[in-house]
Amino acid sequence: MKKKLVQNKNRRSVMKGFGAASLLAVGGSWGFPAIAQNRPLKVGILAPRAGIAATIGECGLRGVLFAVDKINKSGGIAGRKVELIVEEETNAKDTTERFRKLVLQDKVDCVQGLVSSGVSLAMSPTVEEMKALTIYWDGTSQDGVKETIPNPKYLFRSTDNECEAVMSSLLAIKYFKGQFATIAGINPDYSYGRNNWAAFQALLKRFGIQYKVVAEQWPKVGTMDLSSHIASLKAAKPDLIFSSLLFADLPVFMQNAHAAGLTKGTKFVMPAAGFQQTLLKKEFTPEGMVFGLNTLDFNYPNATPLQKEFVQHYFDKFKDYPNWEADRAYFAMQVFKAGTEKAVKAKGAGGWPKTEEIASAIEGIQVESLGGPGMMRADHIAEQTFYQGLTTHKNKYDFVTTNPTDKKFSNELQKPPGVDFWQWLETAKITL
Amino acid sequence: MKFKPLLILVVLIFALCMVPFVLPAYYVTLVLPAIAYGIALIGFNLLFGYTGLLSFGHALYIALGAYTVAIFTSRLGITSMELNILAAVLCSMVIAIPIGLLCVRYVRIFFGMLTLAFGMLFHSFLFKFYELTGGDSGIKVIRPHLFGQDLSHLDKTAYLIGPFFYYSLFLLLIFGFIMWRMVNSPLGNHLKTIRDNPRKAEYLGVKVHQFRLISFVISAMYGAVGGALLVVPVGLADPELAYWTHSGNIVFMTILGGFNHFFGPIVGAFAFIGLKDQLVTLTQYWRFALGVVLVLLVILLPGGIMGLLSKKNSPNRGGD
Amino acid sequence: MTAYLDIILSGIFHAAVLFLIAGGLQLVFGVQKIVNLACGAFYALGAYFGITMVGLAIKYGISQELLIFILLISGIVIGLIGVVIERLLRLVYDREEGFQLLLTFAIMLLLEDVIRMIWGATPKTLGNLSMVYGQITLGSISIPNYKLLVIFASVALALGLGWILQKTKFGKIVRATAENRRMSEALGVNVIWINVVIFTLGSILGTIGGALVVPTSAASLEMISEVVVEAFAVVVIGGLGSMRGALVGALIVGLMRAFAVHVYAELELLLIYLIVIAVLIFKPNGLYGKAAE
Repeated sequence: MKKKLVQNKNRRSVMKGFGAASLLAVGGSWGFPAIAQNRPLKVGILAPRAGIAATIGECGLRGVLFAVDKINKSGGIAGRKVELIVEEETNAKDTTERFRKLVLQDKVDCVQGLVSSGVSLAMSPTVEEMKALTIYWDGTSQDGVKETIPNPKYLFRSTDNECEAVMSSLLAIKYFKGQFATIAGINPDYSYGRNNWAAFQALLKRFGIQYKVVAEQWPKVGTMDLSSHIASLKAAKPDLIFSSLLFADLPVFMQNAHAAGLTKGTKFVMPAAGFQQTLLKKEFTPEGMVFGLNTLDFNYPNATPLQKEFVQHYFDKFKDYPNWEADRAYFAMQVFKAGTEKAVKAKGAGGWPKTEEIASAIEGIQVESLGGPGMMRADHIAEQTFYQGLTTHKNKYDFVTTNPTDKKFSNELQKPPGVDFWQWLETAKITL
Repeated sequence: MKFKPLLILVVLIFALCMVPFVLPAYYVTLVLPAIAYGIALIGFNLLFGYTGLLSFGHALYIALGAYTVAIFTSRLGITSMELNILAAVLCSMVIAIPIGLLCVRYVRIFFGMLTLAFGMLFHSFLFKFYELTGGDSGIKVIRPHLFGQDLSHLDKTAYLIGPFFYYSLFLLLIFGFIMWRMVNSPLGNHLKTIRDNPRKAEYLGVKVHQFRLISFVISAMYGAVGGALLVVPVGLADPELAYWTHSGNIVFMTILGGFNHFFGPIVGAFAFIGLKDQLVTLTQYWRFALGVVLVLLVILLPGGIMGLLSKKNSPNRGGD
Repeated sequence: MTAYLDIILSGIFHAAVLFLIAGGLQLVFGVQKIVNLACGAFYALGAYFGITMVGLAIKYGISQELLIFILLISGIVIGLIGVVIERLLRLVYDREEGFQLLLTFAIMLLLEDVIRMIWGATPKTLGNLSMVYGQITLGSISIPNYKLLVIFASVALALGLGWILQKTKFGKIVRATAENRRMSEALGVNVIWINVVIFTLGSILGTIGGALVVPTSAASLEMISEVVVEAFAVVVIGGLGSMRGALVGALIVGLMRAFAVHVYAELELLLIYLIVIAVLIFKPNGLYGKAAE
């Protein structure tokens, strides 16, 4: 017990504050097992705290803290308060070790988090082998999906990485059809970048768009010196540039591209730009770019009251605007909450449900996330609402927002259960 | 070997055997990389402590061992751990010989820089040629069969803290014993002579380059075995294993334990892993703490933990 | 044609920054015979501190036109931390190289977390400030004048350093100490003081490099371990200990990378390592280096 308090203190005094506040709140639980009410539910969080994904991890953490605060204020999950234990997501080996610690040593009831595609893929077998209920925030890629875990029982994953690529491609076709002949790609040199670029081209082919690739750049993830890449892109003179850059290198790219004159007269398609939205200032980010906001557009005109509340809270507290990782984290916690409460109800007076029972209950569950409705499929892949649009400078901020913003539910953007992604691309009914 | 140290050794081995029964499951799984690094490091110290060559690219061989196991188990379907380890050893030998031939002609800083360059070359290769190597996602490692036993009826944790733990310990004892015999043989004496005074050694007829190469290749092979063991609990071999800062950590661990003493590297591996785990739990600024430890080590305690224990705390080699 | 000019200029810009870091490495190695693995940390420190200073300058209404001067001064100021670090390194001057290398590795770890403690873990940028001096347009390519200013500054620093080392009494003393420390000491040179000055100068070069690169790039923790590899490549190609080598080596690495990115992007970094290995094998002293073993 003492060790836990020390851990919490060194981690986040904020969380301890939340814990205290929620303990004071009246537990408004009806008909839930009284015995369990005394012990809190422990949820382990694995989020990047350093490196290029640090801002993303930070945003996700803020999202889950918001979720936990709300949950605890209204009585917790089936009457039990939620307590977070936060560990750092670094590389595959170390993150797997922290995961083991969360499950074996801290004995958490659920692990949530993970942003990196590589690490999430690496850890998946361990999750299943350790029978630990785990809900990934992000990082679901096509590579090795089939071989890794064909029928997961304990692991729940986010929407496919390719959703944003598919939606961007569709929007690019919708808005830019007939306006480009040559394309170039500048994508981060890892599986996410490669999958995005491949998906884009596959969709162009599918809709019979003629194109020629005149340049392909693969900057190492985290490289901030992109001047040579930009010079090379300029030399190739593409009509359209597709870029799934999403880390801090994105605003650097944009700023240097603008300085080099690359943004004049070139169409841009950026499926993952939303992560860096507040850093993409109007000065160097052009209008009319296809811009991906994934599952959260903080500026969406018809946002739900929940989203409005969150955006306001986020701005008041952090003087910034949230990106979609906050929504993913919120979604994961909601899925856990809904599934647990469903399982508890089903169990009735039989006590607290087993992990397997909660996992079963999560299958098919529907929740309301910050960015809109979402659900967890029976094959343990999430379905959420996606937002992408064309950039505009007509807003009250110093960075770009989107208008018009298209909204699509992910069942239009990702493969259905049991189907191979590439086959689905070729044969499915995809509307623009 | 004298009686008292032998007794201490036996007690320690017994204590290690008891670990799965005494420590909680998580800490048992933490001992596994310590054992793996232990093997890799006694190999590294053959090159550093006994031959006097500081390699800043040793992570290459650990990565090589890791990827060999990954490819063998997940792509070629060869699940016998014994075959995997043999393959790792052979692979590292094949790669280390040409690299060694080039590197051992140089000493000191040039040796260090060359080995660093080769290490990063391999890292780049692993990263860029993703069709072959899986790129940043790496290659999976399927749970290998130990001594022909298919242990898939055990869940991962039980496998790790049970059969795999004793298997690793067994390998540590075997490879440790082999290394002990090596350094106490004429080979070991040749290496020490070369380390202390290469010109004199040459004069005495010792083929300096040849022995350095032997030392280099053996240390590479040990590194590969360590890598093979290291990667099984993780289930994935990824390029970060070959990054130069990983090589830096290897040197750190060896100095921490004490490079002047045969058991120093093993002590260093355990100490480093234990220390890092505690520091990571304690603070998000654990790199700073580790940096401080290394600074204190280099300045005040260059003989490392074993140096402190055996009161042989000189920064110069010539121990053991 | 202008496309190639674009690529060449970006290569030269990259070389200008690399020269500063490599130059720092060379100075320190030449006199103190230590390879400073923490050079990347100084580079990052310069970048982060530069951003802080610029932010302060803007807050107090200082003209944005003074950007490059603010950055240069920031680089110099934070580089003075070298004085403190040198005190630490002094303890291992007479030790084996391995230990010296390890100490600089430890300093790298320390500084990384110091940066994290002060500035946090997220990369920082200066927005669009690199455009403050406008840009020059040649045909279809446009280059921010800032980049040209940086190249100019780097050349000026190189010339300045060259002049100091070759033409001043101080420079002669430094070169003598680099050749033969014992003899210098015997002749009455205050070697302790020389060590402090040289190490600090080396650090300042690194921090200036970081500060100058930040408007067109970003300050991130990755800088610390990434730049070490390229800086090493420059130093190996140019020859350990030679400032001229740092200049030529930086140009080679910078231009090669720019063209590699254009011609065959996959090869980018591999090419550099291959060249490093080739140079170490065929000409271990590099192009201008002094004798090795």
